[in-house]
Amino acid sequence: MNTTIESNVAAGNSVDSGGSRPFWRRYRFKWLHLLYISLMLILALLMAFAIFQPIQVLPRVSLSPGFAFTDQDGNRLTNEDLRGKFVFYNFTYTGCQEPSCPDSGPAMRAIQQKVADIDTGDIPVEFVTISFDPEHDTPERLKAYAEGLGADTSTWHFVTGDPTRLKNVIGGGFSTYYNQKDDGTFTFDPTFVIVDGWGIIRTKYKTAHPDLDIVERDIGLLMQELNNSEGASRIAYEAAHLFLCYPD
Amino acid sequence: MSLSDVGRPPVTDDAPPDNVKTPEKAHSKWPRRIPWIILGILVVMGLAWFATWKYRPPELHGVVLQSPQQASDFTLTASTGERMSLSDLRGKYVVLYFGYTYCPDVCPTTLADLHKMAEALGDKKMEDVQVVMVSVDPDRDTPERMAQYLAFFDPRFLGMTGTVEEVDAAGTQFGVYFERHEGTDATGYLVDHTSTVTLIDRDGYVRMMFPYGTAGEDMASDIDYMMRRLH
Repeated sequence: MNTTIESNVAAGNSVDSGGSRPFWRRYRFKWLHLLYISLMLILALLMAFAIFQPIQVLPRVSLSPGFAFTDQDGNRLTNEDLRGKFVFYNFTYTGCQEPSCPDSGPAMRAIQQKVADIDTGDIPVEFVTISFDPEHDTPERLKAYAEGLGADTSTWHFVTGDPTRLKNVIGGGFSTYYNQKDDGTFTFDPTFVIVDGWGIIRTKYKTAHPDLDIVERDIGLLMQELNNSEGASRIAYEAAHLFLCYPD
Repeated sequence: MSLSDVGRPPVTDDAPPDNVKTPEKAHSKWPRRIPWIILGILVVMGLAWFATWKYRPPELHGVVLQSPQQASDFTLTASTGERMSLSDLRGKYVVLYFGYTYCPDVCPTTLADLHKMAEALGDKKMEDVQVVMVSVDPDRDTPERMAQYLAFFDPRFLGMTGTVEEVDAAGTQFGVYFERHEGTDATGYLVDHTSTVTLIDRDGYVRMMFPYGTAGEDMASDIDYMMRRLH
């Protein structure tokens, strides 16, 4: 006997009458559908990566300048000594007194304390204050300044050097403006810079009082990137650099 | 109806004849489709894995920078004798190295690596690349001396020298510091210096930094990748 549509209709059976059979019964597999689905999946993944930005990195802004200066104990400190460490830099002079001068020393002390509380694993973090007033800031004066701040000098160096070299390093390398006025005091833009173990500048805070939460976040991002720099996650972190996944 | 039909259940109109397949009785096609769906998912996963492997970022040996500003310009005296600025080399990739000719070991090894890099890149690609060595010992390194020294490693290499202040200003921007200290009678004074190699692109942006000891072939493959990406 034929199972024609007519006989089915005559018998009152529901055939393909446009909607009374559910879609998932009517579906017929086609290879083209597979292509559509896989393209949609890839698009969804790209959008997810863009929207949710699962990995953020700090940009590698520029090479941090080379320098060779003298610290508060009269010892030489060069940028090579700091390779392999995360370093915070700030720029000031001991003659800087609040409120007429935005001294970033106390804020650096706060950062040093904050970093001590964060678990940085076995990655060393150090601090360098460069004074652009070598005329007055002798090693003894720098030492007194350090003690006045309550600085932990095992990881915090107070340095200065030759004026021309200072200009090249601070003004050129770290892009921080400073200028000596006729009365011997200085005008300058208070700046903090973070440099990573490769000697690459990662971020700058153009303020005398950086937000400690942001500092903690940035150190966290740098630690994460360093700890994840092997294997498959390295690809993801380099992709984050490529796609410019930077925090606000 | 005949007497023999009594007792037989009534035939109703909406009961289908036995030779028609009703939807309720039709065999579901889904059990047959499941292997295909699994195969489809495996194919998609395979393609995704293959795409990830083929288009993955390469294993770069240097450190890539994303600098928003061009490298600071500097002007020195080239080993050809003329005054030259870094910006004069725009349009070519500049491979920058800071060293000196009386250097006992670090500079010769790095220059040998740079020569291997040049060989690995090949003549065609090297037309777009300029290797520059800046002297951190300008008192002893005259342009002529640099030309002689570099010719020994590769005739394509260019030297630059100047006054100590000029070289210091140039070096600082590239993370290079240098400092004289006492050597032996045989070597004369020695100059401690940062030994990184920096890659600057055609438009003057610092793109990569290679730490000391990076092999020539590795630098060549990284530079090749950069050239292909940046054109």
